[in-house]
Amino acid sequence: MWDTIIEYFPDWKIWCQAIATMLIAIGVFIIHKYIFDWGKAKTINRQQKTNEKKTQQISGNYDIDLNNLRNDLAKNGDVNFREFRTGLRGSRAVLIFVEGMQDESQINKHIMQVLMENKAWSSDGYLIQSQGDAFTAYLKEKLLSVSKISEVTDLYKLEESILLGFTALLIDGMPHALIVGEPKPKVRSTDEPTSEALLRGPRVGFTEVLGENTALLRQHGQTTHLVLKMVKVGNEIERNLVIAYMDDIVNPDLLKEVEDRIANIDIDFVAESGYIEQFIEDDWLSPFQQLQNTERPDRVINALLSGRIGILLDGTPFALIAPVTFTMLLQSPEDYYERWLPSTLLRALRFFVAFLALMTPALYISFISFHPGLIPTELAITIIETRQGVPFPSLIEVLILEISIEILREAGIRLPKPIGPAMGIVGGLIIGDAAVQAGIVSPILVISVALTAISSFAIPMYSAGITLRILRFAGMLFAAILGMFGTILFFLFICSHLTKLKSFGVPYVTPVSPYRFSDWKDLILRAPIPLMKYRPAMMKTQNKKRKS
Amino acid sequence: MFTRTDDKITTTQASIFISSSVLGAGILTLPRSVVSAAKTPDVWLSILISGIIVILMAIVMAKLSQKFPDKTIFQYASNIAGKPLAFIISTLLLVYFIMIAGFELRVLAEVTMFFLLEGTPIWAIIIPFIWLSGYLLFGGINAIARLLQIIFPISVLVLIITYLLSLKIFDINQLRPFLGEGLLPVIHGLKSTVLIFSGFEITMFLIGHMQHPEQAIKAVVTGLGIPACIYLFTLIFVIGGLSVDAVLRSTWPTIDLLRSFEISGLFFERLEFPFLVIWTMQMFSNFTCYYYGASLGISQLIKVNIGPVILGLMPFIYLSAMIPQRSNDIFAVGDFIGWSSTVLFMIIPLPLYLIWLIRSKGLKQHV
Repeated sequence: MWDTIIEYFPDWKIWCQAIATMLIAIGVFIIHKYIFDWGKAKTINRQQKTNEKKTQQISGNYDIDLNNLRNDLAKNGDVNFREFRTGLRGSRAVLIFVEGMQDESQINKHIMQVLMENKAWSSDGYLIQSQGDAFTAYLKEKLLSVSKISEVTDLYKLEESILLGFTALLIDGMPHALIVGEPKPKVRSTDEPTSEALLRGPRVGFTEVLGENTALLRQHGQTTHLVLKMVKVGNEIERNLVIAYMDDIVNPDLLKEVEDRIANIDIDFVAESGYIEQFIEDDWLSPFQQLQNTERPDRVINALLSGRIGILLDGTPFALIAPVTFTMLLQSPEDYYERWLPSTLLRALRFFVAFLALMTPALYISFISFHPGLIPTELAITIIETRQGVPFPSLIEVLILEISIEILREAGIRLPKPIGPAMGIVGGLIIGDAAVQAGIVSPILVISVALTAISSFAIPMYSAGITLRILRFAGMLFAAILGMFGTILFFLFICSHLTKLKSFGVPYVTPVSPYRFSDWKDLILRAPIPLMKYRPAMMKTQNKKRKS
Repeated sequence: MFTRTDDKITTTQASIFISSSVLGAGILTLPRSVVSAAKTPDVWLSILISGIIVILMAIVMAKLSQKFPDKTIFQYASNIAGKPLAFIISTLLLVYFIMIAGFELRVLAEVTMFFLLEGTPIWAIIIPFIWLSGYLLFGGINAIARLLQIIFPISVLVLIITYLLSLKIFDINQLRPFLGEGLLPVIHGLKSTVLIFSGFEITMFLIGHMQHPEQAIKAVVTGLGIPACIYLFTLIFVIGGLSVDAVLRSTWPTIDLLRSFEISGLFFERLEFPFLVIWTMQMFSNFTCYYYGASLGISQLIKVNIGPVILGLMPFIYLSAMIPQRSNDIFAVGDFIGWSSTVLFMIIPLPLYLIWLIRSKGLKQHV
């Protein structure tokens, strides 16, 4: 008995390995936790950041107010003070506006002209003597024919509005200032979105102007349930952000979660919706995106109708959709516009393509370096023959070609349009061919690398393609160390990560797992539209049925 | 609630959990161990019988767990049997889980070293596997259940396809004569067929995690029925394809079956490759079930967070995998596990159930 125990007692090497297993795991765990918390610390309670804006009433005395405004604003070269005298009454007046942001013809025609002309004043002559609020009311109601007009009583608010592009009007004898002209946004035409082109579907994309974008959403049809909630984000420079949802469909808990997270954003300036995404995502260490970005209004509307929430930011054509699941990244709006059979096949193709983009180089390495016996013998012989002149191990060989194709892609984006295709030919064809001729890589590898690159571009979401492209390098390392076993480990690692990941409380791999069979008709299979009677069960919507 | 904060799993997830915990190394070891015990082709009958026995055993466990909703065996044992006894019971169960985890890991390492990675040191296979599983465990039972849900259908699908393709060399005569040596060898085979179901003890903590514990019986029956069918098919196809004598001679008969024929026209000429890939993934979910069971048990027994327990268990699982020295030792450990599975049933759920019956029905105590 005792002898058996002694015989089977593990030797010190195994003890060391056992301890090392734990210590390394603990080390990784602590480092991960430390980094994760460090990233999380950025969200603080926004309540601390109270509204500490100065306030000062507008005095109503023309000289003092104008002086104050001049002191504060005149340092900006682009602020114009246009002083003039009104018609008959002859009061002094000033229009203050920022160069280039107002609609000049409107101001000239409906404000300056009206105020300076005698005609209007004379017709209602008795009001010439009216003072204070009555005077303002007369201006607003009878004289100034502009649709948007408002009174401002606070000096700093007025200055802020002027700098935002509003046109302010100050007249001697008027207690408050009037905002008479809205900033005229710089609008570009609603082009077809370049990052999400479709063959069939609306050719409209968001622009940089929030008002235009919300209008695009509204234009989809008449409904009273589409809510566009306006929030301000940014401490130093505030920007408008719109939370879009259908109030009869969205889950209230989800809405509250999104609103809370947006309220917690604490940064001086939000330059693009990417900022928002990085502030409100669940796991900032994950390589997978947890919000979907899109330039397509139809995509946003479809998401809203399935119970998701859209986030639109002023100044960017990219809207965000939350929550997102992995399968959404492989779906395109076109799937719904085409008939169900081609759509289903295309979706199946995309899942396959995602697998290829992720695993091809890893499989190449593990087959070539570890298990040539597992592929058909003739193929194995051909590969080995063509690889004879290659002086590197397969990992280096793959890395050389994969990294050069990444360089090529990065360079291709920066290049001006006429040179781009030429560059592709030079880089892809000539360098690839020359590399084979020079014996740096084998021809089979060129095929597999090209396949990987093309696959990653076939994914409808550009950012999802990036994720897969990054991960395939990790896959190559796993394969280079442990061959097929390493590749399986890598696949399991990705799966484990995906099953742990959540986007706003929705498991990232739904509806694949947990099984929601009712959602499977919109997974790889895109069931005919008449059969899709219910909204996705994973969104736990208020109104489950699509059809009455 | 939109976001789930509770760690509850659905009935389907519970079934798949149980299936995954049973379906592991057995696919490879089963044919040889059963055939060498019974030495007749009738052993598939043994699988049927033992499957039914095991399902009955699991139903007892499920019934017991149903009396204590939201509680695992590690928690309700003390309600029934008192603290000291409960501690012993839980410890036994924990040692058992760690032992199975180590055994499955070792079988995986042996097969991988034999078929895929010749010359690779064994620690290089085992340690990354433990780490990866630990990483998944930090996601809690929901993440584990979701992963099992992804892997399990793929495994079953590939298994069925490979078995169907092996029909090429299937010969019904290898399974004959039916009951040529009477029922006695079938009874002999029972002993080793019960072994392959070992691991279904996780039922005792799984029911406490179920969202609808009232469906526990359903979960247990489907959860054990599926692996029973798969084992049945494995046995029939392996014996039908290779014959009893060939099975006795080979170490891993299932893989030998797949190596013994070629399919032309596919990318892989031999099916052992996709089979091994799927089997490795299935072993991962299998191993994770026990690793989770052990971690959960310790954390509930000594009332600490599960995180440190997951990390702290790593060396023990590694040691448990490395203790067998020769491949015969591994099979001995396998037999021991199967034997202790039966013993554990005799000393844990059965007495607990009886005590509970006596105390609640007989003595009218509130347990």
